[in-house]
Amino acid sequence: MLQLILDGEANSEQKDHFLKEHLESCMPCYKNYHLEVAIRQLLKSKCCGGEAPQDLVDTIKSKVIQNLTH
Amino acid sequence: MEEEEVPKQHYSDTEKQSVFNGEFMPHINSMYNFAYRLTLDPDDAKDLLQDTYLKAYRFIDSFQRGTNAKAWLFRILKNSFINDYRKKSKEPSKVDYQEVESYYNSEEVDRQITPDLRVEALKDMIGDEISNALNALDVDFRTVIILCDLEGFKYDEMAKILDIPIGTVRSRLHRARNLLKEKLSTYAKQMGYKNA
Repeated sequence: MLQLILDGEANSEQKDHFLKEHLESCMPCYKNYHLEVAIRQLLKSKCCGGEAPQDLVDTIKSKVIQNLTH
Repeated sequence: MEEEEVPKQHYSDTEKQSVFNGEFMPHINSMYNFAYRLTLDPDDAKDLLQDTYLKAYRFIDSFQRGTNAKAWLFRILKNSFINDYRKKSKEPSKVDYQEVESYYNSEEVDRQITPDLRVEALKDMIGDEISNALNALDVDFRTVIILCDLEGFKYDEMAKILDIPIGTVRSRLHRARNLLKEKLSTYAKQMGYKNA
């Protein structure tokens, strides 16, 4: 259930019940929830944001244009 | 390149350019990241990215304008990777996916095997720990984390991109995340946390 919620795949009823009721009474789930959130934040901040090299982008665009004109 | 129920489009050259520039090019950075995470080699990543975009253009009539271009492109990239770049001489996967799937579909598993890892330890990982931990995963596990957590694909989109059932997407994600946690736990210990 935790994974479904964090992945945005749970419906709002399940989400409400889990986040508002279950987490209050279940310590392992509570800890796990915060751990999972922290890992996702770390992933997003450190593993995203790279950019394709501009020369590569230009090459791709020009190859595509060439394809068009023959 | 298989076709699904999408009727073949017949774009004019101008329309092709417009679809390519408007719907394909905006995803090039995400695609590059994915290519790099798959190949772990900058030169292979560039080649893979280029091959993929050229393929995408060649098969552009299989793409219906306004539909999910990102998923469509990611699928091509993943297939190109498997066909052309994944090392064929690699040893057979150490993971028995069949066994993994049924075990990890059980929810109790979270409580039993979550390694000791604390949020505090994660907050101190300001370097490459998470990136290295991700790269250290077997490519199939790495892939599902990238698609879900970095690129925001839903399970059903991932199932289409990877050509696997949704159940497998979920169990593979579950396993991948636990492996990632184990790796992070190791780093945390190295960084000096006792029960991290």
